[in-house]
Amino acid sequence: MKKTTLSLLTALAAASALALTACGGGDETPSGSPSPGNTGGSSEAPAAEPVTITMSGWSLETTPEFQVLADAFHAANPDVTVEIKEYDANDYGTLMLADMSAGAAPDIITIKEAKALGQWVDGGQLLDVTDVVSGLASNVSGAGSYTIDGVNYAAPYRQDSWVLYYNIDLFAQAGIDPPDGTWTWDDYAATAKELTSKLGGPKGAYEHSWQSTLQGFAQAQTPGADLAGGQDYSYLKPYYERVLDLQDSGAQEAYGNISTNKLTYQGQFGKQEAAMMAMGSWYVATLLAQQASGEADSFAWGIAPIPQYDSSTTGTDKVPVTFGDPTGLAINAGIDESKLEAAKAFLAFAASDAAGVALAEIGIVSSVASDAVTAAYFGQAGIPADDLSKFAMSTHDTRPENPQSPNISAIQTALGEAHSAIMSESSGIDEAIAQATETIQAEIG
Amino acid sequence: MTTQPIASAQLSAQPGAVPTGRGQGRRRRSSLRWHNTLRGWSFIAPNFIGFAVLTLVPIVVLFYVALTKWGALGDPEWIGLDNFVKLFTRDPRFNTALWNTLYYTALHMPLTLAASLGLAVLLNQRIRGAAFFRTTAFFPYITSIVAIAMVWNLLFSPDYGPINQILRFFGVDNPPGWTVSSTWAMPAVIVVGTWREMGYYMLLFLAGLQTVPRELYEAARVDGAGAWSRFWHVTVPCLRPTTFFVTVMLTIGSMKVFDLVFVMTEGGPGRSTLVISQLIWQQAFVEGDFGYASAIAVVLFAICLILTIFQFWVNRRVER
Repeated sequence: MKKTTLSLLTALAAASALALTACGGGDETPSGSPSPGNTGGSSEAPAAEPVTITMSGWSLETTPEFQVLADAFHAANPDVTVEIKEYDANDYGTLMLADMSAGAAPDIITIKEAKALGQWVDGGQLLDVTDVVSGLASNVSGAGSYTIDGVNYAAPYRQDSWVLYYNIDLFAQAGIDPPDGTWTWDDYAATAKELTSKLGGPKGAYEHSWQSTLQGFAQAQTPGADLAGGQDYSYLKPYYERVLDLQDSGAQEAYGNISTNKLTYQGQFGKQEAAMMAMGSWYVATLLAQQASGEADSFAWGIAPIPQYDSSTTGTDKVPVTFGDPTGLAINAGIDESKLEAAKAFLAFAASDAAGVALAEIGIVSSVASDAVTAAYFGQAGIPADDLSKFAMSTHDTRPENPQSPNISAIQTALGEAHSAIMSESSGIDEAIAQATETIQAEIG
Repeated sequence: MTTQPIASAQLSAQPGAVPTGRGQGRRRRSSLRWHNTLRGWSFIAPNFIGFAVLTLVPIVVLFYVALTKWGALGDPEWIGLDNFVKLFTRDPRFNTALWNTLYYTALHMPLTLAASLGLAVLLNQRIRGAAFFRTTAFFPYITSIVAIAMVWNLLFSPDYGPINQILRFFGVDNPPGWTVSSTWAMPAVIVVGTWREMGYYMLLFLAGLQTVPRELYEAARVDGAGAWSRFWHVTVPCLRPTTFFVTVMLTIGSMKVFDLVFVMTEGGPGRSTLVISQLIWQQAFVEGDFGYASAIAVVLFAICLILTIFQFWVNRRVER
């Protein structure tokens, strides 16, 4: 009988423990620790005492920028330690949303995609950091992408933009002049076709399957293009006509093959399958690393400004128009009061010249445009140091890919559907754009 | 099952062992009954609590969230039936997703049913290597869906894929674009879905086949019935309970299809393979509208419920 009672109690205790664990989780997380940095006396300590703040990051092994920023800040402010909480890069937005709703998000929230900002601000998750942003130097770009109704919610620490990568060896082999900064998209298309016919194997150009690779340029460069307006997307048409022509003529890999064979842009350009490729500035660091490791072929390459809509912005005496979203840092609205000053100081530091140099040394394009940052960036081993490459990386008018609007995600989803329909040639351009416009208007309406 | 005999034995043993009054015996019996009840509850508690917290509560909450505007952060804002009004009157994407889901179900369900039944009947024969073939047929079901999608996408690749190369070899000049064609993407997904799931349902049919009495086949054979006749007049009627179960499970599974479409085509090209579950995911996790996503989920739940009730009704009529 005693045994029976004991086993009964054990079973009940196990069940209760399970219930408590299940029900108690939600209560524990807000005050509990998303990372060790949130625990212990440091979080309660007064400002003069050492403070530990936490920051979100992703793929830490291949994305060292978070640790570089944390280490540089700690070196300048020994009382403050920044600990990084790692998230999965592919599901960053979803995981952060889950952490936010559980009250378990870190003190500093990295804004990976600007289009998520609106939802997080609406949910009251981010602190107004206008005071920090207004104190940043005038050579910091990208802060506008984080402004909603005149309030700044994040400070940018890196600002990628899209440039044209080209294979100098393949151009020489074909006997064709490489880009000189004066190209419009028509020049680019004509050269891609010429390269393809002269090279005989590699294609003239590679355009990855993302909708950004086409729509980003059309949106940024076409006069009057209004992505968030939801009324007229016919400005996409000339860009699609040009690309479909390149695809049909064999001057660039077909969208169908890219998506079904899961071709990577790193493989296509790095293995010299294509002589030119429009891609974000982040690829510089990847290509340098892959050439050093042997993962990519060894060949000479350069960077040119992205081809332009028309000749009004071409030439090295003008400022080429391109697109790109910054990566920024925001502060969790639920941050402990004792950590707030340290967090704000970290945001300001990340957008400073010192942080810009530290980031440039590992191949990251900082949001700070200064001689010191440019010198550090072009000091990397193997990076093309010609004037055009320097011009392309340092001079451009970078328009946001995702301007702040409450409907931006819905708009991008509908235009993403149009992109796959047009590029796979399963829909006509006009038909796909009309369908996307109808969907967007239904969503906005 | 095990507690009942022990309890009975204890109950029958008590009166003889402890000769007490009638009231005391009743108290003891009631105490034992209480103990046994508590013990039973303690056994099911872990599972029930898990089910309640992880399944039941979210389902109940879903019906409430469907009537609100909610972005997963902050408090939901009550908007009544607005989400449903938008769903049925203003959202062209929902109509497409509903149609695509019904298209997938209408083809995938009978195809998988026929393929799994055929496989089960074939592998129920005394043939050499039957166990090997059964295992092979089951493999796709336990293989990673991402790996499956990668391999099938390569097979379906319009220019380099072996499927189109074979078609070209046989003189088809313009083979389909498969997953990058709005016409052929859904059939391609259905083929892969059928290939993946037929092994699982084959196992259910194999189990069902073991319950068919051998005497019926012998009697049919004595009466001169051929193989087809034996299958149609003995196997199929005897398998009706299994077939009904498989049909219900397949219908619900097809209506809820998500992972395969997501990893193979992401709903494209355009929205030619966009299904309801993907639309729910898109609205919730891409566009951050959990209220609207919940409303779509409620509609999907209602459709599955109606289809299942209809299937039960048909089954009952056939049984009569």
